[in-house]
Amino acid sequence: MTITETTGSTHTIVTICGTLDASTAPDFRNSPAIADPSRTVVIDLDKMDFLDSSGLGALVGVLRRKQEANATILLSCMNPPVRKVFDITGTCKLFHIFDDTDAANDYAATYLRGR
Amino acid sequence: MNSSNITITLPGELRFIRLASKIASNTASLFTETRKTEAENWEFAHAFELAVSEAFTNAVVHAKKQAAPQPVTITFTLEERKLTLAMRDSNVPFSTRTPSPDPENYPENGYGLLLIRTVMDTVTLTRENDTNIITMSKTL
Repeated sequence: MTITETTGSTHTIVTICGTLDASTAPDFRNSPAIADPSRTVVIDLDKMDFLDSSGLGALVGVLRRKQEANATILLSCMNPPVRKVFDITGTCKLFHIFDDTDAANDYAATYLRGR
Repeated sequence: MNSSNITITLPGELRFIRLASKIASNTASLFTETRKTEAENWEFAHAFELAVSEAFTNAVVHAKKQAAPQPVTITFTLEERKLTLAMRDSNVPFSTRTPSPDPENYPENGYGLLLIRTVMDTVTLTRENDTNIITMSKTL
């Protein structure tokens, strides 16, 4: 798994390429914008080819900590194998999910500038 | 009915999770080749990829509680229209592992068995001679 962070004035876009599972979840949690609870992030999942419950748990945990710090996670571009895990567990209800990253970016920028 | 068995043994370590799940999905892909639509074949292969990732992770996480990691053995049984996978480990019993989560609270952990049971047709958990065996099967 590789993680790329692009930081803007209001939020950070995090692109995850590869697999998010028990073996890669620690690297995900330690990525700077992910580890900073007060930083809102858009996570682009277009290049994530596999997610299991360990990866999902990492996302849920990070979301909880960001919400406690008045920030959040927005998810974009879910592929079918990733979407399936959210649908089965019902955790899709926890996240703002967008079909494309531009829409997620616009939402984040508008939302955060308005605060 | 004719059937074929394939057995592999991997070290019970986190870094082998992806190898185990890719072996499962590739076996399922080759098993289903040209038998169904592309979408159905993908779903069949992804089901085994996800189920093995969950089961292997569970075995490895509990192996860490023991003095030394125990190997994990996976046996595939190929039948005409059914693929069965049995995963064996000698770690702590299933019954002492994390219970299923309360789905209303959306916790961070505990979704593994829910995912396995959803994507597979049948799932059984047994313990024989200090060995945990999770057996799962899916029919085309």
